[in-house]
Amino acid sequence: MQSNLSFLVVDDFSTMRRIIKNLLNDLGYANITEADDGNTALPMLKNGKFDFLITDWNMPGMPGLDLVKHVRADARLGKMPVLMLTAEAKREQIVEAVQAGVNGYVIKPFTAATLKEKIEKILAAHSAAA
Amino acid sequence: MSTRLLDNSELVSWLGAMSRAATAGDEEALGVALAGFEGVRNSTVTMQVRRVANDLQFALDHFHASAQLKDMAQRRVPDARHRLAHVLRLTDDAAHRTMDLVERSAPLADHATHEADRLIQLQKAGSTVQQIAPQLTAFVTLVSAGMGAVRSNLAEVLIAQGYQDLTGQIIRGVMKLTQELESALADLLRIAGPDTSEEAIAADAPGAHGPAVPGAAAHDAVGGQQDVDALLSQLGV
Repeated sequence: MQSNLSFLVVDDFSTMRRIIKNLLNDLGYANITEADDGNTALPMLKNGKFDFLITDWNMPGMPGLDLVKHVRADARLGKMPVLMLTAEAKREQIVEAVQAGVNGYVIKPFTAATLKEKIEKILAAHSAAA
Repeated sequence: MSTRLLDNSELVSWLGAMSRAATAGDEEALGVALAGFEGVRNSTVTMQVRRVANDLQFALDHFHASAQLKDMAQRRVPDARHRLAHVLRLTDDAAHRTMDLVERSAPLADHATHEADRLIQLQKAGSTVQQIAPQLTAFVTLVSAGMGAVRSNLAEVLIAQGYQDLTGQIIRGVMKLTQELESALADLLRIAGPDTSEEAIAADAPGAHGPAVPGAAAHDAVGGQQDVDALLSQLGV
């Protein structure tokens, strides 16, 4: 399966970005761009045409939670599907992320199957809502 | 100072007793007063020596803890930071090296799968083994070369894991330093005298971000993705 969906993957560790990119490739998504924190990602999101945001939480510069809040506050980006992929595993943090507007939350370490399932679930809900 | 006045008054008292005994010509009383005088004088000196020794011990303890902390702050902590940065580089390099090899192997496997599928389709379409013999020969050659390369890449992946030995040694060294730092800080706090109870220390600890670590304090952490999913479901996501 090949998809034209455009992904932005935000993580401060290049290894993790590469892992996510490889997994997305295996799932048939070839259009993937990388950013290393929210400060880098936000202008890319505002100036680009991305369909899906996958972001880490704990990053130097702008953390993922703030990035999600900025995205949700933006008129054009507000409805963008967002998956948070993070090592932050406290219940209160998950609640906070949901309140900020994430559509899915995956904790590291994760499996390829989990990533696939969550992306598909988010996309299905997104297309149903559209 | 009050101890010294008390001791002096005792000494004056024994001197008076000595004077009276000498005036009266009472040799026995003079001996008792002299012994009493010596006793008080010795105990005063002993007390003063003990106090000086205590003060000296306190100063030495303080100096030892300060000197230890100074060495840690100026030399060993920056050194540990430098070593941890090296750990980060080693793990980063090893992860990228491993992914390079995986990315190099995956197309070989994909190509072999693709060619095998193509031959299966030819057979299903009615081609005989004789008819597709050249393709079969090419496929076997392809698989042989491809799997040889994959095997070689897997050996390299194995070797790339050698970073763990190096990083493990460095991390153990840093763990030892943190133990010593903890001990030196506890000594300093003991000398300084503030509350060093675990509750008091925990109350000041900043809320850490990062992965949950088994055995480390992580209140309210979920047990895995299933717990996350259950929580998301409760929250309507």
